[in-house]
Amino acid sequence: MRIGTAHETYAQAEALLDTNVQRFWLIAFLILLAAFPFVANQYWVYMACLVGIHIVSVTGLNILTGFTGLVSLGHAAFMAVGAYTVATLEIRVGTPFILNLIIGGLVTALAGILVGIPSLRVKGLYLAIATIAAAVILHFVFANSAFLGGTRGLSMPPATIFGYQIARPSQVYWIILPVAVLSIVGAANLFRTRIGRAFIAIRDRDISAEVLGIPLLRYKLLSFALSSFYAGVAGGLWAYFFRVVTPESFPLIYSIFFLAAVIVGGMGTILGGILGAVFMTMVPEVLKIVVGWMTPVFPNAVQFLSPVRTIVFGALIVLFLLFEPQGLAEIWRRVRRFFHLWPFRK
Amino acid sequence: MDWLFLTEILLSGLGSGALLSLTGIAFVLIYKATKVVNLAVGEMLMMGAYFFVGLFSSQVFPLWATVALAILGGGLLGAVVERALIRPMLGENPISVFMVTVGLGSILVGVVEFIWGADPIAPPNFMPTKPFFIGPAYVSPKIALSFAIAAVVIVVFLILFRYWRGGVALRATATDQGAAYSCGINVPRVFSLAWIAAGMAAAGAGILVGSIGGVSPTMGVFGLSVLVVVIVGGLDSIAGALIAGLFIGAVEALAGTYLGGEYKLLITFGILVVMLMIRPYGLFGTVEIERL
Amino acid sequence: MTLKLSRRSAIAIALAGTVTFGSYGAARAQDIVLGGSIPMTGVFAFAGVAINNGITDYLKIVNDAGGIHGRKIKYVFEDTAYKVDTSVAVFNKLTSQEKISLYYGDSTAFAKTINAELLRRANIIMAGASFASELNNPKEYPFQFIAGPDYTEMTGILLEYIAKTTPKAKIALVNSDTEFGRDPIAATEKRAKELGLTVVEKIVTPPTSVDVSTEVLKLRRADPDYVIFHGYILAPLPEFMSQAKQLGLKAKFMGTFWSMDNNIWAKSADVADGFMGVMPYRYYFDTEGKSPMLDQIRKMRPEYQSTGYIQGFLTAMLLVEAAKRTLADKKELTAQNMKAALNSIKDFDTGGLIGVPISIPGNTLPVGRVYQYDGKAQRMKPVSDWIDLTKK
Repeated sequence: MRIGTAHETYAQAEALLDTNVQRFWLIAFLILLAAFPFVANQYWVYMACLVGIHIVSVTGLNILTGFTGLVSLGHAAFMAVGAYTVATLEIRVGTPFILNLIIGGLVTALAGILVGIPSLRVKGLYLAIATIAAAVILHFVFANSAFLGGTRGLSMPPATIFGYQIARPSQVYWIILPVAVLSIVGAANLFRTRIGRAFIAIRDRDISAEVLGIPLLRYKLLSFALSSFYAGVAGGLWAYFFRVVTPESFPLIYSIFFLAAVIVGGMGTILGGILGAVFMTMVPEVLKIVVGWMTPVFPNAVQFLSPVRTIVFGALIVLFLLFEPQGLAEIWRRVRRFFHLWPFRK
Repeated sequence: MDWLFLTEILLSGLGSGALLSLTGIAFVLIYKATKVVNLAVGEMLMMGAYFFVGLFSSQVFPLWATVALAILGGGLLGAVVERALIRPMLGENPISVFMVTVGLGSILVGVVEFIWGADPIAPPNFMPTKPFFIGPAYVSPKIALSFAIAAVVIVVFLILFRYWRGGVALRATATDQGAAYSCGINVPRVFSLAWIAAGMAAAGAGILVGSIGGVSPTMGVFGLSVLVVVIVGGLDSIAGALIAGLFIGAVEALAGTYLGGEYKLLITFGILVVMLMIRPYGLFGTVEIERL
Repeated sequence: MTLKLSRRSAIAIALAGTVTFGSYGAARAQDIVLGGSIPMTGVFAFAGVAINNGITDYLKIVNDAGGIHGRKIKYVFEDTAYKVDTSVAVFNKLTSQEKISLYYGDSTAFAKTINAELLRRANIIMAGASFASELNNPKEYPFQFIAGPDYTEMTGILLEYIAKTTPKAKIALVNSDTEFGRDPIAATEKRAKELGLTVVEKIVTPPTSVDVSTEVLKLRRADPDYVIFHGYILAPLPEFMSQAKQLGLKAKFMGTFWSMDNNIWAKSADVADGFMGVMPYRYYFDTEGKSPMLDQIRKMRPEYQSTGYIQGFLTAMLLVEAAKRTLADKKELTAQNMKAALNSIKDFDTGGLIGVPISIPGNTLPVGRVYQYDGKAQRMKPVSDWIDLTKK
């Protein structure tokens, strides 16, 4: 909360944005995002789309892991469910893409509930391992189902709207951006409701939550369903973006990537999920640029790009957990506080 | 039914199962002492294999010394990891500690690729190649030797647990940390000890796994099967890891033979899911009772 | 919960926008640009580095000779670490910086993913490191080709050889459980039947499996004359073969392109002795027949160059040839024109990289030869003549 903003009603205190300055900057930022594909070249738009898809997916995982305290290592597999659903609908049924995305999300939510059922008996890390099992089983299904194209997967046509094809990154951007914004707003509002607060209570101490009258199983399954819905929609976007869905598109390491993004960004804050997704997607590209600078000095630098990327990826997870467990969101808050109080306080 | 064939398949399954058991013990040791679910156990195994290959190719030491040094290297790795990454996380949310080990796995893979490159390395030929027969049944000599080595190591571990002071201290810590402290047991040292022992066991398993299947940065996926083993056996049960390892090894071999290789992971992870539903603490694990 | 962007970062973003997005220079108009998503690091680096050298060397030869029709070929590439999304990112980056006409892609998944974009742009033709049978479809992939036989044709060449040397032979197929590994299984079975061969066993190995002894036991029971591996580079082939030897199996072992490099077998020469496989190109050290290109390569690089190098070299040659023929016809460098020019290649001499004159009627170059590893000489040696599937 900022100095000088006095809340007069509870609604004000609960509002997502409490000052006009914040609203102004948010609108300015959205305008910037809308202008982006017109000023940036194809590469940057491509990266922006990838970031957008990752934001949706990471926000979903954040609901489960950051807010409800359930770890999932099957998030990429859930994305695969969404991607396959959307691809199948697009190829075999031909329903409009918005409907496909929603159905993709719903089917994935169902899958999420199914996987979440063991949370009836197990919790914590056992559950994480159960989600690995789900990922393995889903991979088997995708790779061995003739209906889903086996190991070759599915190649699908682009999304269309009024007969107009949405194929290029600069066009798909216009699907991804609104979906990403919607999913962020949705998640942010979720935690102003009873359901969202119940999730947080479960994370903080599930037995206490139960004592307080929160039906654990129902809410845990609900959290799984919501998180998987996000994953499914993200997977659907992924499918429209790459238009080839194969069983090898969503490996375990992709799930770990999403978890890493949640941790690095900041568990249990919406902003953290966004920052984490942006940061983790851009780090490999930045590393590539750095290696490019180093090449004149160390001609062999390129050779070490891949190992360095792997090391940095792991090190980011470890270092953030050790030294900045609240993630980038906390750093962001600190930086902001510094400027708010500057120059009166260091 | 071809009984000889079935016997051969089972023997080979039990042989690779012994490797699963050995790695499973590394996992259980860590969990027992520090309550850390170590997802990097596969990567620690990989490091052991690379220590061995690296030392072996330098040809400075005789074979036995190379093996010993690689295992010591694994122990050292365990110690360093415990001090640098796990100790500072003491008392943190178990999920965070778990994620630290996930990050650790990635770091280890990167380090290996950095030093040795991403290409698979052909395993050094130090194992016998003369065919080995139990009665009329053929067993791959490497598998037979691995089984023997793993069995010996496991027996040594069991004896140490039972009679050695450090082993007793470890068991005491696992049962009740507070009580162990008040009995004068240096609990942090027990933590270190557990990680060192686990690192050595994993490195030993890595040498064996590497000399059978080749050494590569992706050999850490072996850890996935180990996860199944420890869940089925019970996260904190040495005997559980032992029996479940052999069991899963045999199941994998049977599934691979009669259903096809693509079913191996499906069947083992199917077993894992069923186990989680009916006995989440595993065959021999301790049932935890949670109180507010 | 706040969603606020501080003014400084907003300004920074805006600044970064104007600086980075507006400043890409165009290539000199007369240069023809060959772009590449090349796996310089990661699991496929061993091939990527060699491919990169091959492309660079061929373009150097062409440019030193004055280019094609007075135009130089410029080569731009970036590392992909063999990850599909990175490959696509590299494609987008390079195409927004240069006017690219020719492209080298690194994986099957990339080839499939980028296909729609190639169709849309219609000004790039592409070949790559993938020999996937799926890409051998001029209707779906009109602007791509494979500088060699696809995986089905590779096993087809092996079957052809087997049917000739051992009629009615029993065959076992061993494949890895990946898209790469399972690619030719169904087609190989069908072709084997047509040639009067029996497939007695099909084994799929998961990527996690360490020990292969159960698979070897299965092989012993099936007792095949030939075992065809596909979907592997090296592991677990040596272990397979040494255990099979211990069990006294008479079977001969065969592999496809990516497991046929000479160097990967040099370290396990005793096991490798007798290992056979299909190779669409000549090896670096082949001296039989006339091969001026190989002579030139040996002059440029005195040490052994892997099969990936030859693949990159030949791919660059064919890409450039397509552009050259298009320009010779005074046509524009559109994908359609270049692909048509490529398909007009008939009885073309590759400078001896392939032992027979080649034609590219569709998306592949279905020629190959069976080589066998000679453990004593530590070299792959040809055991068959060139087998050309187009002549059938």
